[in-house]
Amino acid sequence: MLNGMLRNTLLIAKREYLERVKSKVFRITTLLVPVGMGALAVLGQFSGRKMEGVQDLAVVSSNRGLAEAVKAALADGSFPPQTVEVVAPATDADVARLNAEVAAHRIGGYLTLEPVPGEAEPKSTWVSGSAINLVGKAQMESAVRAALIREQLAARGVSDAQMHALMKDTTLNTMQVKNGAVVSSDSERSFLGAYGLIIVLYASVLIYGINIARSVVEEKTSRIFEVLLSTASSDSLMLGKLLGVGAVGLTQMGIWGALLVFYAGSAMAATQGIHGLGSLGITRAELAFFAVFFLGGFFLYSGLAAALGSSVSGEQEVQQFSFILISPLVVSVVLLPYVLANPNSTTAVVLSLLPPFAPIIMYMRICAQMPPAWQVALSVVLLFGSVWAMVWLAARIYRVGVLMYGKRATLPEMIRWLRYS
Amino acid sequence: MEALVDLDHVSKSYEDKAAVRDLSLKIEAGSMFGLLGPNGAGKTSTIRMMIGITLPDAGKVSLFGKPFGPGALKRVGYLPEERGLYKRMKVIDQLVFLGELRGLGALEATRRAKQWAERLQIADSIDKRTEELSKGMQQKIQFIATLLHDPELIIMDEPFSGLDPVNAVLLQDTLLELKKNGNAVLFSTHRMDQVEKLCDSICLINRGEAVLAGGMREVKSRYERNRVIVQYEGGDGFLQHPAIEEYKSYAGHAEIKLKPHANAQELLKAAVSAATITKFELVEPSLEEIFIETVGGRADA
Repeated sequence: MLNGMLRNTLLIAKREYLERVKSKVFRITTLLVPVGMGALAVLGQFSGRKMEGVQDLAVVSSNRGLAEAVKAALADGSFPPQTVEVVAPATDADVARLNAEVAAHRIGGYLTLEPVPGEAEPKSTWVSGSAINLVGKAQMESAVRAALIREQLAARGVSDAQMHALMKDTTLNTMQVKNGAVVSSDSERSFLGAYGLIIVLYASVLIYGINIARSVVEEKTSRIFEVLLSTASSDSLMLGKLLGVGAVGLTQMGIWGALLVFYAGSAMAATQGIHGLGSLGITRAELAFFAVFFLGGFFLYSGLAAALGSSVSGEQEVQQFSFILISPLVVSVVLLPYVLANPNSTTAVVLSLLPPFAPIIMYMRICAQMPPAWQVALSVVLLFGSVWAMVWLAARIYRVGVLMYGKRATLPEMIRWLRYS
Repeated sequence: MEALVDLDHVSKSYEDKAAVRDLSLKIEAGSMFGLLGPNGAGKTSTIRMMIGITLPDAGKVSLFGKPFGPGALKRVGYLPEERGLYKRMKVIDQLVFLGELRGLGALEATRRAKQWAERLQIADSIDKRTEELSKGMQQKIQFIATLLHDPELIIMDEPFSGLDPVNAVLLQDTLLELKKNGNAVLFSTHRMDQVEKLCDSICLINRGEAVLAGGMREVKSRYERNRVIVQYEGGDGFLQHPAIEEYKSYAGHAEIKLKPHANAQELLKAAVSAATITKFELVEPSLEEIFIETVGGRADA
């Protein structure tokens, strides 16, 4: 009996796998995602360049010394501008000229510094054609603060050269204790894997989750399920469906993974300072966890999609619930910055144990700092336990739901179905 | 002989509606069984309980002499009322998949699928995708899918609906041949003419209840031979004879229904004295008439 069930499950998995791998959707997404990722990377570099300080500006003040000190501080800052014009003191005509230059985009803006009697700090105002970005704001603020210190230092007879040595920007080397060893860390790259998982999981759930729901609805509307149910159990049908579609997901992942490894080892990547997967901040252990959490998340959401698909009566309704399907993923993404900042907080620990959030949150925690082994183990057990429960649930709903077609089931009805078969 | 299917006082209700009420029937090996009834009578509900798609609320279902279990399903071929196939799959892949699901090896399933396709004259369609085929052809494909694993028990829900007469006869002949080979066949229909020609036993259900059941001959013999067909030349005054309940008269041809227990010989004597009789035939009621008589105005359809 068990053998029969296994055989049926594998037969169904094989059919689901071949049907999908041969489909156009598979070829298109397999090709499109790496292209999209490449485009994203290029876009990221482009917008990274955009996050620079102001390039051309003027400093306006009635206090020439202060204005010059700000200019020097800007030059020593993290984002040295190309040109800094000092206008001190400024006439109304000067201000009008600067306004015209801002309007014509010849300069990014100008900084006015009005000394306030009795206060060390002047009243500083930034005037520009557009809202200032964070880097620009930090650039101005630190320049004004540094200028005040410079003035004090100058008053105490510190030379310009000494001042430069003291005030220039420092570089922080970051190291990380990772799995017991101190290694150099690159805070951006160490989360590359986690962000990769999010994108990949998100894309797969959207593509294959909806795909599973569709195929369930198709079996319902074409009534082929009646033939299938007269030979195979609904457990085999659901499990086979998930395994088949899961294998499709893995095939696709495998192709993408091979592309990534190929890219990371290529000469092109070397010119970008990447030599193999290690320099992308991805370790082998992380790769293994990636596979575990990807599969768990994929099966859980696919099972949910199958259950939802079994409970609706038409193709259009599949669209409506796609939001329900991805909402836990959206929540995970929203909570990500918090988890990153506090990987060992109670909230992060609890979230990383809850199956719908575990794939992303626990994987992110593993990337940030290895959590205690029991937490990881518990999270994996709960995740796969809930996959099993979801398959069971989906099989029951499929079994009974499909026989009552024509109208959509209400929640109490669904609960009744569960008891009934 | 042991019955292949034995429904023992089964009942099934959906929500507030009783679909099947206290129904019993038996199907023997090597016989053809007709499940008859107007639309909505409970035919499909009965069939679904036979193959475990739904479970009866009360009563017992036995297949092959044992209480129903999923293991028995490999010996059953089931054609549901609403046809279902994977639309985008190639016909041959589909047949092989369904054959494998019922325990055949891939090679054997392929061989049989091709053989059946020859037999049902659709061999040139098996490399096409299902959605490219006409409805009638899809029905033949599904017919093949049902029979591929050579089931001992063949259950078909409205197998001939939507087929043109040529194909309907082709499938009827196929079923008769299977029966001759010892397979048991059950099919449901609301078309009496098919049942009358094909079936050994019938069960007529209406509103979920069996209103008439038994061997075809036995059922018909329960009804009097009270139909008379007369062909005559001359006067038709004998049609006013007291033995006649009602009649339809055409030029030189009359179809007569006698009163209960009336003597047809008396009518013949009266007819001979009034006209020249070229034909006088006493016939059984057709199943259609029995059906209408039994179900009468009570049918939901």
